Amino acid sequence: MSSQATNEVAGSPGTVLELRWRSSRHARRLLTLGLAGLFIATLARRPEFAGLAAPALLLLAAGRVQRRPPRITVRTRPSSRRGFEDEVMALDVSVEGHEDGRVEWTLHPGREIAPVGPAAADGPRVRFTFTPERWGRRDLGTLDVTLRDPWRLAEGHASLNLPRIDVYPAPASQRTQVVLRRLPNRLGEHPVRVPGEGLEFSGVREYVPGDRQRSINWPASTRRGRLQVNTFAAERSQDVVLLADATSDVGEPGRSALDLALRGAGAAARAYLDARDRVGVITYQWGGASWLAPGMGRRQVYRIIDSMLSAETGGWTSGASFRRLPRAALPPGALVVVFSPLLDQKFVETLRDMRERGFAMLVVDVLNAEPPSRPLSRQRATDRTARRIWRMEQEAIRFSLRELGIPVVHWDGIESLDLPLAAHARRPLGVRR
Amino acid sequence: MTISASLLGAGCVVWAAAPAAHKPWAGFALFLAIAGVAAGALRLALIAVPVPEDSFLLPGPLRAWLRFLETLRQVPWEEGAVVAVLWLEVLHPSRPWHTAVLGAALTAYLLATHLAESGSRPGVLRPHTRVLAAGAVLLALGAGAGMLPAAAPGAGSALLRLVAAGALIAAAGLVLPYATRGGDQG
Repeated sequence: MSSQATNEVAGSPGTVLELRWRSSRHARRLLTLGLAGLFIATLARRPEFAGLAAPALLLLAAGRVQRRPPRITVRTRPSSRRGFEDEVMALDVSVEGHEDGRVEWTLHPGREIAPVGPAAADGPRVRFTFTPERWGRRDLGTLDVTLRDPWRLAEGHASLNLPRIDVYPAPASQRTQVVLRRLPNRLGEHPVRVPGEGLEFSGVREYVPGDRQRSINWPASTRRGRLQVNTFAAERSQDVVLLADATSDVGEPGRSALDLALRGAGAAARAYLDARDRVGVITYQWGGASWLAPGMGRRQVYRIIDSMLSAETGGWTSGASFRRLPRAALPPGALVVVFSPLLDQKFVETLRDMRERGFAMLVVDVLNAEPPSRPLSRQRATDRTARRIWRMEQEAIRFSLRELGIPVVHWDGIESLDLPLAAHARRPLGVRR
Repeated sequence: MTISASLLGAGCVVWAAAPAAHKPWAGFALFLAIAGVAAGALRLALIAVPVPEDSFLLPGPLRAWLRFLETLRQVPWEEGAVVAVLWLEVLHPSRPWHTAVLGAALTAYLLATHLAESGSRPGVLRPHTRVLAAGAVLLALGAGAGMLPAAAPGAGSALLRLVAAGALIAAAGLVLPYATRGGDQG
């Protein structure tokens, strides 16, 4: 715990807290000594016991005249309102109006918020560090403030609800991109077979008037006796729609199918946006889907994650089918990258429907759990049979998608996404019609 | 500071108990005093042990340990010890200087306990110096009043002395806060 809160916290708006004052344990102990001494002195008529009570009573009487502020102003400032899972964040806290009292803070972190270091600190300005353990909109918790008077005879208590922060899933690692064979005629960074003004060398052809002099290939011209110029591949961008299946959250918390789907979609969004592609997202939920139209730029990553965490950005369509989605949400010719455990039959049907409509799709299977089973000693033959049937059903679903021309790759959430996608990232993805 | 508080508490018990008073309930008072001081010392020793926020589905031994810690922290052991020590002292015949020393030791015990509990240094007691000095004077006066021979035999003179000592304390209590505030501001 570092007690070096930044000065920036002083600029944030403060919260006025009414203090509830009460006697401290120290005061209660002194009062016990004083009252017991006086009681015995009166009862036993022994004045020395009155003298024994004197120091304690004098301390209490002197402490009574100390000024106690009725209210204080507390300012809190998280280092950021947004963060990623397991990112170390800070909360700067300061108090005003505490006069010469001693301030003690106790942090009671909210759910899935783990303090890094001690959760209690002293001083008018302190810094708590914490880390969010799981994505979502998280309450930071509550902060208890205890103000002690200089004589330590009274304590003022107040409690403050801390702000919420948006915790984004920690993105997985992905550097390569799956690129479609046919790309829209829009400038980008993916080289295509059409000659153009890109950077990737495509071939050599004979010089025609109007060609730039700097593109002349002098060694080839010398060999052939006529002027030859280099040609380059055109570079295009593509529309990518990430489809996250939020209907099933199976597996242990932190590595569940939904966790992996969100992390994978976040990684894919970064990778494609880095390649100047337009990326959008559709989050499939029970009863419908929220969507965000494809866009470009670094901010789109955060819009995409916001859209996946809460359907407040973008649009919403009801029903399991995506036929009602506007063209802006699902542009024709877009690459659809699906993150799903493929457990919802309606969702699988939706994928088949989209494939039949001609979308190029790639499914990243994020199922890493099986139905819970009894201990081996108590397992019955029917349990084993049911498990085998379940596995066969899952294999059948994946097989049927592959048969339709939808590649299905499995991702365990630990390794980089580049590994399962390697086979499809090496060459352009074609669409069988 | 925890050790100092424990030693002061133990010293108070020994000081109040010796010589052994063979009176009814003396043993029980001694037991209460020892238990109070010992449990108070244990509370101070375990004051830094953290308690988990979530206490659901914990194993039995851990639950028992948490319950023990909670009891240790909730019960006012020191107050009990103070009352028991005074009880032990009152079981003896009048010995004013002995009681005055006990009063000083008990005050020191409570201050040391407070310092150990709050993790403060003894320097935080500097503003208390004048009040403690005045308290020491009153303590001595009380002991002196107890040692004065009675003006006349009977309960009346003892009561008179008691009233005089009480009035002295009350007067000091009324005047001292203002003197202290003036000193703090200066």
